[in-house]
Amino acid sequence: MSQSTLAILSVGLAWTALIVYAIFGGADFGGGVWDLLARGPTAERQRVAIARGMGPVWESNNVWLVFVLVVTWTAFPIVYAGVSTALFIPITLVVIGIVLRGAAFSFRSNYGLEVGSGVRWGHVFNIASTMTPFLFGTIAGALASGAIRISGPSIQVQANPWTTWTTPFALVCGLFAVALCAVLAATYLITDAQRAGDRDIAEGFRRRALIAGAVTAAFGTLAAILMISGAPTLWHGLIGRALPFSLAALALGLATAAALLRGLAVLARILVAAETACIFLAWGVAQWPYLIVPDVTVDSAASPASVLGPMLIVAALGLLVLIPSLWYLFAVFKLRATTGAATNTARVTTTAFVATLSPVAPPPTSDDRDEA
Amino acid sequence: MSSDVAARASLAFSLAFHIVFAALGIGLPLMFCIAEGIGLRRRDATWYALARRWSKAAGILLVVGAVSGTALSFEFGLLWPRFMAFGSGIFGLMFTLEGFCFFLEAIFLGLYLYGWDRLSPGVHWLCSLPVVIASALASQFILAVNSWMNTPTGFQLANGKAVNINPWAAMFNPMAPSQALHMLIAAYQVTGFAIAAVYAAGMLRRRTDAYHRKGALLGMFVAAVMIVPQAIAGSWIGEALARNQPEKLAAIEGLFQTTAGAPLALFGWVDTTTGQVYFAVTIPKLLSFLSFNHFDATVTGLDSFPQGTWPSAAVTPIAHLAFDTMATLGGLFLLVPLVFWIGYFRQHRTVPTARWLLWVLLITGPLTFVALEAGWVAAELGRQPWIIYNIMLVSNGVTTNGGIAYFFFVFLAIYIALGMATIGLLRRLAHEDKTFVTKDKMTGNTE
Repeated sequence: MSQSTLAILSVGLAWTALIVYAIFGGADFGGGVWDLLARGPTAERQRVAIARGMGPVWESNNVWLVFVLVVTWTAFPIVYAGVSTALFIPITLVVIGIVLRGAAFSFRSNYGLEVGSGVRWGHVFNIASTMTPFLFGTIAGALASGAIRISGPSIQVQANPWTTWTTPFALVCGLFAVALCAVLAATYLITDAQRAGDRDIAEGFRRRALIAGAVTAAFGTLAAILMISGAPTLWHGLIGRALPFSLAALALGLATAAALLRGLAVLARILVAAETACIFLAWGVAQWPYLIVPDVTVDSAASPASVLGPMLIVAALGLLVLIPSLWYLFAVFKLRATTGAATNTARVTTTAFVATLSPVAPPPTSDDRDEA
Repeated sequence: MSSDVAARASLAFSLAFHIVFAALGIGLPLMFCIAEGIGLRRRDATWYALARRWSKAAGILLVVGAVSGTALSFEFGLLWPRFMAFGSGIFGLMFTLEGFCFFLEAIFLGLYLYGWDRLSPGVHWLCSLPVVIASALASQFILAVNSWMNTPTGFQLANGKAVNINPWAAMFNPMAPSQALHMLIAAYQVTGFAIAAVYAAGMLRRRTDAYHRKGALLGMFVAAVMIVPQAIAGSWIGEALARNQPEKLAAIEGLFQTTAGAPLALFGWVDTTTGQVYFAVTIPKLLSFLSFNHFDATVTGLDSFPQGTWPSAAVTPIAHLAFDTMATLGGLFLLVPLVFWIGYFRQHRTVPTARWLLWVLLITGPLTFVALEAGWVAAELGRQPWIIYNIMLVSNGVTTNGGIAYFFFVFLAIYIALGMATIGLLRRLAHEDKTFVTKDKMTGNTE
């Protein structure tokens, strides 16, 4: 296979992983946004539904991000090094957000099983969850803007550390990203709540998904207007080569809204994921062949074939193991009903099995009682 | 603080933090896998209670390990972009493999931690196996990257750029197998001793029930199984160093002159300005033996290398002391399980609860973390001033961005907060109800 074919496959792999991260990991961030916005008498139940939805899966969703980074630095070292240098400040803030979001999620929730305790960590969790996608959006805006210049064999990076990611266009990209995460989370949470048998919560998230969808559309429109001067290369791509994807994203957005209005939660879930994929596909195709506008292209940044070939082979074999494993994880936690008694009659769960064993809990001693 | 120093300090601190959680992230799955396996086979609720407890601890520790690991994958680029631009294509394959391991670890950990109420006993136990295997394999790939920085292979240099890259050759670089094995075993040792220490502490408070005895027993079992492999890995890594990185060995051993029948200098202060080791305990010919299995073998000293490429005067004595600390404590870790098991068999197969022995276990637990950090410090400082041995200086890999000192202090604060919170949560966990079934406040159901 030729060098440029391998480069295209590599960028395809990274972009696919980015899309999967957006669809799954984005919803986890969105969960944090709704945790932040939880109000009213059902606030605590909303937070519980969010935590239950994220609990078993957010860690593996987070690995998609690591995977994107690893494929990028393996296949396109200049992009990884250049972006890290040019966007040092927002990326540092992203790292802080990711560390605090994940740690706070497990700290506040008593090993992921509760939400009531540790309220302070709860605020760290929801603020970090909202900040992080915003920063990702500003980074994306900066990459498309053309304000990051990379030149020469020694990779001289020229970019203003503060202004590249704080243009109106980049900031609106950030808001768009947060809103999109919120739509994803709310839409997914409808079916989660339905399976858990909580209709009030499901209805609440349905309404939230619709509102967030409208907000996303508004930010999307604003971003498009600002893009004309803020990221002209991307704009011409979106109304040119990437037009089918742009239109598909718009159509899927409207279809998601229609499905939500008619209460078709499962359909909405599929449509909103497809919409997200189309948004990223449109972005990628529109920006093609640039990875960083206007100096770094897929071909100019790609590692030699001797690097790309083994990476792609390993990735293909790895996906053969990964996809069934992921399917199993989601099948266990997302496809089966979450209410306890109904499903557990069919077979013996580990908890039920242990309960049948003779209890061997230590008899309370005097100092045990003191500590309790 | 200059960018160079701040970047080093930042990554050093991030790794020093991550390595603790990474080691427990490798070791704890093995512990709960064995405990649940025994529980399942013998239908023993105590072993289940232990597995459950350790999985809860893992739920906290592995999450901190995962997020600090994710942070590291950004920090490489933020702090060392020129190193990454040069090398990440060469060692990227190892990280790709590690990425898949990380995936499998996260997926099956999710199934294990949240699956008690959903999976059958057999399937639940089986879900621990991929976590054990994937976390062990992940460590091998990460250590292969680190050892590549010590013995870079799989490319040729042309005008400062890497050409003719062969990522497989880079992965199987000369230091990889010994370093990776040494670290993996160390992770299991750390976890075994840490767990034994926790239950020894309980037994010192007169809680000598089956739960505490079995906890300590399994910890000491893993520690004992690791005695022979670690002795082999330790001597292997010494020989590999002597062959592949004689300069690093000379620096951490404080050997200035190339010597036949070289003595081993234990502890003391290595002074590179005078070429002396002060206050050391010297054991004749031992370094030659440890390096080449021969008492009269010639060991290369620092005098065979230009002084500009020695680790600096500031880091050499620290590398030496760190190495000796690790090696001395390593000896203790081989001895303690032996004493424990002699006690166990002499008391007709009951866990020994002599207070002096419990105190030894209690103190040894934290010391394993000291050894872990010391070994890592010796390995990293000994490579200085190179980021890639004989290829790229640390100062040529660092970012050109300013303000790295802020980065350092921000992450210092965050990691200190996370570390303290983790300790607080683990303490709360230790004081919780010890039975298997606890009330799930989220659903009102029992778990």
